[in-house]
Amino acid sequence: MKISEILKEDIIEVNLEARDKTDVINKMVDLAEKSGNIIDIDEVRKCVFDRERLVSTGVGKGFAIPHGKSDYIKDVVAAFATLKEPVDFDSIDNEKVSFVFLLVGKDALLNVHIKLLSRISRLMNKDEFRDKLLVAKKKSEILKLFKDEEQQYIEI
Amino acid sequence: MLSLEFILLVISLLILISIFLTKLSDNFGVPSLVLFLVMGMIAGSDGPGQIEFNDYELTKSIGLIALVFILFSGGLDTKWKSVKTVFWSGLSLSTLGVVMVTISVGFFCNYFFGFGLIESFLLGAIISSTDVAAVFSTLRAKNTRLKGCVRPLLELESGSNDPMAIFLTVLIIEAIISGVPSTFSAVLSLIMQFGIGGIIAVISGKLMVKLFNKLKFGNDSLYVVFAIAFALLIYAITTLLKGSGMLAVYISAIIIGNSDFIQKRSTIRFFEGIALLSQIVMFLALGLLSDPSELLPVTSTGLIISGFLIFAARPISVFISLIKSKFSIKEKFFLSWVGLKGAVPIILSTFPIIYGIQGGYNIFNLVFFITLSSALLQGWSIPLMAKVFKLEEPEPEEEIIPIKMSSRVQINKEMIDLIIPYKSEIIGKPLADISLPEESLIVLITRNGEYVVPSGSTTLEEGDTLLVLVNKENVNEVKQKLMRVHH
Repeated sequence: MKISEILKEDIIEVNLEARDKTDVINKMVDLAEKSGNIIDIDEVRKCVFDRERLVSTGVGKGFAIPHGKSDYIKDVVAAFATLKEPVDFDSIDNEKVSFVFLLVGKDALLNVHIKLLSRISRLMNKDEFRDKLLVAKKKSEILKLFKDEEQQYIEI
Repeated sequence: MLSLEFILLVISLLILISIFLTKLSDNFGVPSLVLFLVMGMIAGSDGPGQIEFNDYELTKSIGLIALVFILFSGGLDTKWKSVKTVFWSGLSLSTLGVVMVTISVGFFCNYFFGFGLIESFLLGAIISSTDVAAVFSTLRAKNTRLKGCVRPLLELESGSNDPMAIFLTVLIIEAIISGVPSTFSAVLSLIMQFGIGGIIAVISGKLMVKLFNKLKFGNDSLYVVFAIAFALLIYAITTLLKGSGMLAVYISAIIIGNSDFIQKRSTIRFFEGIALLSQIVMFLALGLLSDPSELLPVTSTGLIISGFLIFAARPISVFISLIKSKFSIKEKFFLSWVGLKGAVPIILSTFPIIYGIQGGYNIFNLVFFITLSSALLQGWSIPLMAKVFKLEEPEPEEEIIPIKMSSRVQINKEMIDLIIPYKSEIIGKPLADISLPEESLIVLITRNGEYVVPSGSTTLEEGDTLLVLVNKENVNEVKQKLMRVHH
C-alpha cells in the first residue's frame, strides 16, 4: 500500500477554508467520507478528536496529521487538504498549519496504520515537497506530486 | 433396565463419532447439524442402532438447557461494536421478520394443504427462527468471509429470533388449548416477556461482571463453574417471572462479553466448548427421537413447504423487515438465502406433542424434514451464494506487529502512538540519553514505513512514529520529554 494509492481526487481539497482547529478536523472527516469507507462518521470523528487530546498532531513546519483508530470503517480512511488561510492547530512548534493529512486506520490493523503515519510524516518533512504542494492549484496536481515523491520509497 | 455403563458407552461413542464427522462436514460443506441429526437417526429405533428413545419431554428439556448454553456462548462472543450498527435491522428481522414468516407459512399451508388455520400458524411459528451455528460452520469450513454488515446482522438475528419464535409458538399452543386470546392480552404478554427478559438481562449481566471482579476465588476454575450456574439461574428466574428466559440469557451474555472481567478469555473459551457439546447432544437426541420411517410420508408436503419457506416466506420477511435499512438488494437476497433452520424449530416441534395438540406428531415430522432439507439445500450453497452476490471478502491481513497490547482490568498502562515533531530537540540523541519517566518504554519505532527496533544507541529522526507503553499517570511527562522542539 502507498499513500498515493490511498489518495483519490475526491478526498483532496485545495484551499480549504476553515476557522479553527475543530473546524479543520470536522471538515477533513467530512471530506474523507467521500471515500465511502466510513461506516459511522460520528465514531470516526470521535476517535480523531480523542487522539488529538493526547497531544496535538501539528508536528511542525505548518503540517498537521490528525489521526485515529476505529472499528467503524471498512478500509483505511484518508483525506488531504491545503488550507486557504493558515490555522492555529496547537502545533508543537506554535506555527500555524497550512497542510492537513487525515488518516484513520482499522483498530485491528495497527501495523499498517503506524507505518502509513510514519511515511506521511516523512514525506511532509521535505521543504521542496511542501513548497510544491503549496503552489498546486488542482487536485490532480497534488495527487501527482504525492505519486512522484513516493516513487523512491518501498511499498508499505 | 440398561446398565449405566452401557448407556454411557453408547452416549460417549455417539459424541466421539459426531466429532469425527465434523471433519467430514468441513470437507463437504454440509452443516454439521445435519450429520449429528443423521447420526442420531442411524442410532435410533428405525436405524441399525435400534436404540428406543421416545421421550419427548426429556428431549425438550435437553434442548432447552442446550439452547441456554448455546445462546449464552453466542452472546459472549458477540462484539457489541459490530452489532451496534445493525441493531435496528436485527431487531426488525427478529420480531417483524418472525411474524411475517409465521403468517405467510400459515396462510400457505391453510390454503394449499387445507390444514386448520391455527395449526398452520403453529407450524409457521415453529419454523420461523434461524440458526447461526448452521450458517457460520459452513462459512468457516469454506473459508468464506462476508463483506460489510451482513455477518453481524446474521449473528444478531439468529441469536434474537429464538425468543420470538418460542413466544409465538407457546402463544399459539395456548390459543389452541384455551381459546384465542384477545389482542390486548397477547400484546400484554409480549411486552411482559420481552420487558422482563430485558430488565433481568441488564441487571444480571452487570451483576455477574461485578461479582467476577469482586469475588476473589482461590481456585481459578471456580469462575467458569460460577458462570455456568449463573447462566442457568438467569434462564430459570426470568422464565419463572414470566419473562423470556432465552432473551435474558442472550442479552446478558452480550453485556458480559463486552465488559472487562477477570478470566474473560478462559470463560469464553470454556463456553464455546460447552456450546459445542450442547449442540451435539441436542441434535443426537433429536435424531434419536425421530423415526425416519415416519419422515417418508411427509416428504412431498415437507418439500413443498420447504420450497415455499426458502423461496417465498423468507425473502418476503427479509425484504419487508429491512425496508428501511441501508442494505443493498444483493445483500437482501443473500440474507434471504441464509435463513437456515437449526435446532430451535425441532425443539419447538416437541411442544405440540407434549401439550397433546392434535396432529402434533405430524408437525414434528414435518418440521424435522423442513429443517433437514433447508440445512442441506441452503447449507452447502452459502459460500456459492456469497460468490454470486459478490459479498465475499478476502482474508484480512494478519496483524504482524511485533508487540500487541490490550488494556485489561485495573491495569493502568496504555500504548500510545506519538509522532516525533519536526525540529524536535531530541533528534540525534541516543535513546539512552532521553530519560523517560519510570514505567514508560518506547517499544517500537516506525520510520518511513519500516520498523526500527529501539535500543539504547538508537537515535530518532523527524517524523518517526513511536509506540510508547506508558503508565497513564506519566503520560504528560513522557509527552514533555519527546515532544519538545527548537523554536
